[in-house]
Amino acid sequence: MSPGAEPMVAVDACTRWFGDVVAVSEVSFTLDAGVTALLGPNGAGKSTLLRLLCGLVAPARGTVRILGRDPRNDVGVHRHMGLVPQQETVFDRLSAFELVELCAGLRGVDDAAAAAAWALGAVELDPADPRPLPTYSRGMRQRVKVAQAIAHRPSVIVLDEPLTGLDPRQRRHMTDLFHALGDQGCCVVVSSHVLEEVERFGSDVLVIVQGRLAAEGDFRAIRDLMDDRPHRVRLRTDRPQEVAGRLLAARTIVGLDVVDIDTVVVETDRVHELRSTVAAVARDADARLWEVVPLDDDLDSVFRYLVGH
Amino acid sequence: MTATRTGTPRGSFLRLYRLVLRHQLTWGRATVVLGLGFMTALVALAARAGSSSATAATTHGTELINGIAFTTIVPVCALMFASSALGDMVDDRTLVYVWLTPVHRGWLALAATLASITVALPLALVPLTIAAAATGAGSDLIWATALATAVGTIGYCGLFTALGLRFRRALVWGIAYILVWEGFVATASEAAATLSLRAYTASILSQATGVGLRLGTLTMASGIIVPPLVGLAAVGLTTWLLTRTDVD
Repeated sequence: MSPGAEPMVAVDACTRWFGDVVAVSEVSFTLDAGVTALLGPNGAGKSTLLRLLCGLVAPARGTVRILGRDPRNDVGVHRHMGLVPQQETVFDRLSAFELVELCAGLRGVDDAAAAAAWALGAVELDPADPRPLPTYSRGMRQRVKVAQAIAHRPSVIVLDEPLTGLDPRQRRHMTDLFHALGDQGCCVVVSSHVLEEVERFGSDVLVIVQGRLAAEGDFRAIRDLMDDRPHRVRLRTDRPQEVAGRLLAARTIVGLDVVDIDTVVVETDRVHELRSTVAAVARDADARLWEVVPLDDDLDSVFRYLVGH
Repeated sequence: MTATRTGTPRGSFLRLYRLVLRHQLTWGRATVVLGLGFMTALVALAARAGSSSATAATTHGTELINGIAFTTIVPVCALMFASSALGDMVDDRTLVYVWLTPVHRGWLALAATLASITVALPLALVPLTIAAAATGAGSDLIWATALATAVGTIGYCGLFTALGLRFRRALVWGIAYILVWEGFVATASEAAATLSLRAYTASILSQATGVGLRLGTLTMASGIIVPPLVGLAAVGLTTWLLTRTDVD
């Protein structure tokens, strides 16, 4: 984003409650082009946050702006938005083409039929299939939902658990499609509670826990910022105790656990220093170093730390 | 292919109208409404057989049509179709597909209401006009029945479209409204009667045939004008509800 330019998505101190339950509390973030994954445990407030982004519910406090406009009250901005809702239901008397063509037409596409054909092709469905949607499998309906969300070439696309019901090949295809849309300048927000999926979406994440934004940004950078939790690294060497002892003496590591005859797991607050010096330390110890594997800088670990279990 | 214009996209109203129309007309609903209508025609034939004179036929026929058609069939027919126009979309959570569009909410409300009228009106009008003819009360009752059915359907469809959007189990709420408000509260006083659509349809019948009917004390003009105005106001209410509702 250039300095001073409006972010594509701007959420400022947004709060929403339902009865006594606070679903989203004081959430603020901005997003621009690219794919951002929204993750959190079940009931964390992901779907409510996505509904707020689309204007489907109004914030009790705070503001949501999409392309600088209020999605709740300014229906014109819906022309530039696409949503894949979480629910599976679609209009049960329409075919896939009819639904996508309807949505494209309602969102202002001049040649809605051509747009529908393109979108269905993009999700590998046949536009000429005349069957009504209830006869489709769950995965096919999911792809139809994606098609209706992209047919009008929106700038902001919100997808709530879009890979549900898809087979592995289709999951890969959809992930590639989302990346392609992000590369073309769309702001793509994807929610999921399956961390393997999220890692494939990219490294930018919004982590929501109990309605609050626990972290945002590149999850590796988030991990680096967690000073209170030492990084765990597994070293495989023919002299694990000797190597670990030297690292401990140099205060590069703060703890160690010899887990096998050739394996030691070390804990360090200085992970970059460890990476840069471990080879030299092993050489000085006359040890063969076979493997240096970080154990907790993947998304799963970051997520577990953030949600507290 | 990319959307570039501003305002409600061209053709949106027709798209919405066709969508609602296609989803609300089911064989089950049509059969119930037509069955009730033609049952009224049979009752009307029986009443005609029991009438000793033309005056008696007019009186009995008008009372019969008012009693069955405008207390039950017209409001129930409108309720069945109009409450489902947006209500079904709320229930099955498909409203989001038409809500998240740059279409003014008024168009959606109007399309849903007009689609309900399109389906409900012929299904109520044809059998009830036949029933009016079957009473042998003459042409005044026939055209008055047709006219009252038309204006009543417009008013009720407007109200029940809003009801379907606002309440889950709108059929139950609607029947409660028909029984309690239209059937009971409206009879309490003249002022209360003016807040009941039944008073306007009864007045059309009463003024056309000259038969005195309970609640039928208003003028023909108000009977013709007020129900469509109620329908129009209800479209405004539905529009307002659409801007305020939380969409699943």
